[in-house]
Amino acid sequence: MTKAVTPHVRGVFATRRRVLALGAAGLAMPFVRRASAKGAPVNVGVILPLSGANAQFGVNSRNGIELVAEQINARGGIKALEGAPINLVIADATSTPTTAATVGQRLITQNNVVAILGAYASSLTLALSEVTERRDIPLMTMSFSDQITGRGFKNIFQIIAKASVLGAAQLDGTVAIAKSAGQTLERIAIMYEDTAYGVSQAKGLRDAAGKLGIKVVMDEAYPLGITDVTPLINKLRGANAQAVFPASYLNDGLQIIRSMRQQSIAMPIIGGAGGYVIPDFRKALGEYAENVLSIAPGNYDLAPQLTDAFRKKYGYFMVHEALEHAVCLDVLAQALEIAKAADPAAVRKAMSEAEFKGGWCDAMPGGVVKFDQTGLNTHAVPMMVQWRGEDLVTVWPDQLAKAKPVWSAA
Amino acid sequence: MAFIQAVLDGLMIGGVYAVISIGLTLVFGVMGIVNFAQAEFLMLGMFVAYFAWAYLGLDPLIGSILSFIVIFCIGLVQRTLIQRVMKAPPVAQIFLTIGLLIVIENLALLAFGSSFRSVSTSYQTSSLRIGPLFVSVPYLAAFCMAVLSGFALWLFTDRSWYGQAMRATAQNPLAARLMGIDVERMQQIAFGLGVGLTAFGGAIVLPYFTVNPTVGSQFVVLMFTAVVLGGLGNVVGAVIGGLAVGVIQSLSALLFPIQLQNLVLFLVFIGVLALRPTGLVGSSR
Repeated sequence: MTKAVTPHVRGVFATRRRVLALGAAGLAMPFVRRASAKGAPVNVGVILPLSGANAQFGVNSRNGIELVAEQINARGGIKALEGAPINLVIADATSTPTTAATVGQRLITQNNVVAILGAYASSLTLALSEVTERRDIPLMTMSFSDQITGRGFKNIFQIIAKASVLGAAQLDGTVAIAKSAGQTLERIAIMYEDTAYGVSQAKGLRDAAGKLGIKVVMDEAYPLGITDVTPLINKLRGANAQAVFPASYLNDGLQIIRSMRQQSIAMPIIGGAGGYVIPDFRKALGEYAENVLSIAPGNYDLAPQLTDAFRKKYGYFMVHEALEHAVCLDVLAQALEIAKAADPAAVRKAMSEAEFKGGWCDAMPGGVVKFDQTGLNTHAVPMMVQWRGEDLVTVWPDQLAKAKPVWSAA
Repeated sequence: MAFIQAVLDGLMIGGVYAVISIGLTLVFGVMGIVNFAQAEFLMLGMFVAYFAWAYLGLDPLIGSILSFIVIFCIGLVQRTLIQRVMKAPPVAQIFLTIGLLIVIENLALLAFGSSFRSVSTSYQTSSLRIGPLFVSVPYLAAFCMAVLSGFALWLFTDRSWYGQAMRATAQNPLAARLMGIDVERMQQIAFGLGVGLTAFGGAIVLPYFTVNPTVGSQFVVLMFTAVVLGGLGNVVGAVIGGLAVGVIQSLSALLFPIQLQNLVLFLVFIGVLALRPTGLVGSSR
């Protein structure tokens, strides 16, 4: 981070440049000195989609990580490493898998990172994990495609439940909520964008429906970046479903709900996280967002004492991707305390053996994080959230619920 | 009935594709340059209309006129960039417009951030019912605006001196110059008009679509397909191409999974090009 750049000086103009370089070095000095007084900073790689279609989610995630890094450094860094501060090395994965892998490679060879956090979208994480596995660098993620922990990788740690579990819980939760309103769920519609995220979530839903004997009357994939959802909604109208399960990011999610309103299709909507659990969803839809349900791998109302700091700093509620990435960094810091070395292998060992508690782990269901051999956090449970005014409220399962669910046509 | 509904939906969305494609085809027809950055002007037009809605309270359909004016003016200035490569090899022109695409997109990311923005209007969740048919009001509104703009463009090119001069430039720049037409100026206006129309097309879809700096990539392929399908450089062709793209997408969803709608579109596209390389209405130039 504090690498000095010596410009090739020539002529009069270069003196100005030299002055600038000196100034920059001077500005950087305090950090260098602080670093030498304490332990050397621990480089943590952060790879997220900061541009392209998923940029918004990447930025949210980065905000969560930066918040926790500041907190850790403010309370004196990693104690086992003589108070070494966390130094985030943030890189843009764009929204293309190959780029995610390339920047991963770069962070490992050039920045000497002890672990990497990222990369939000499952397709990016899958590409990135090929690199981290080969180079033996722990990768902590909140992506949830089943493939991520399904390949026998040793260096992957997934903080939340897998997509198939999420999909199943989405249906279980919906059945339970419908039942509490005196309704039996028999016919459902599924629509999803055809990326790693949508496909695996739809599969989870489909399998769960098969087990429960619920009929899937519509099961339709659509391309990412769809410009016209009318055909989708026309099909939904003819499908005679009791509830619809769309798995989409924001743009398609908004189009779907608006088109449903246009055609006066009234049925409960149970979103698949993604675009359904961010403040912009409510901002764009206003009252039409009310009572829309969604599955979520985490929600900020489970630990307001922690997540309020995020709201105060960034001005919106702590969206789940920010929350889960925050937990990732806290777990990593705890692992560094146990490992007592900024060494990827030692960190990986600590991560796979220890049980993590306290700090941001309190924001996870159960308040505990423990990874099994595949790298999956065994304590993670999905939950159902529902829009109430400007807020997302956890409504299922009962032991986590902060309010009673409402079963209504959105 | 599902068939009629699908055709209706396809025509309405196709009307919008037509307007944004006219812009592209106009630039090619008059200047002979394929503007790969065209879809970025659509994005800019959407942002102008979005901010007009957010800060001035203008409905995007009215804001679209503002979009047209603003982007038209930007187009006039930006022409100084294109003019330099007019006589350069095509490769240089391609690099320039693709470079422009990347620059505009990333400047927008810097300036506006990456989040999706959406307007909310009273009519965006309503529709008209005609018997068993549904007509989405925002689609219908966008379609009407598209027809109006198409009509205005026709009036301009057919009736005004400037329009005739522009057509003359497109047909034969040398002859046009001999007739006392300022060819450079015509090309400049054509470029402004082209990007302005595309921006206008972006603004009128705002009631049902969200805007973000990368939105152009969602339309760029459709736009080029519509233009080439109709015949590059041919305005009537772009209209027919745009409508055809909308209807094909919509109809394919009736028979095949929606996932395949673009596959069907491109199969038709390849088929048309194989049989009529100059496009549906293109004559051999």
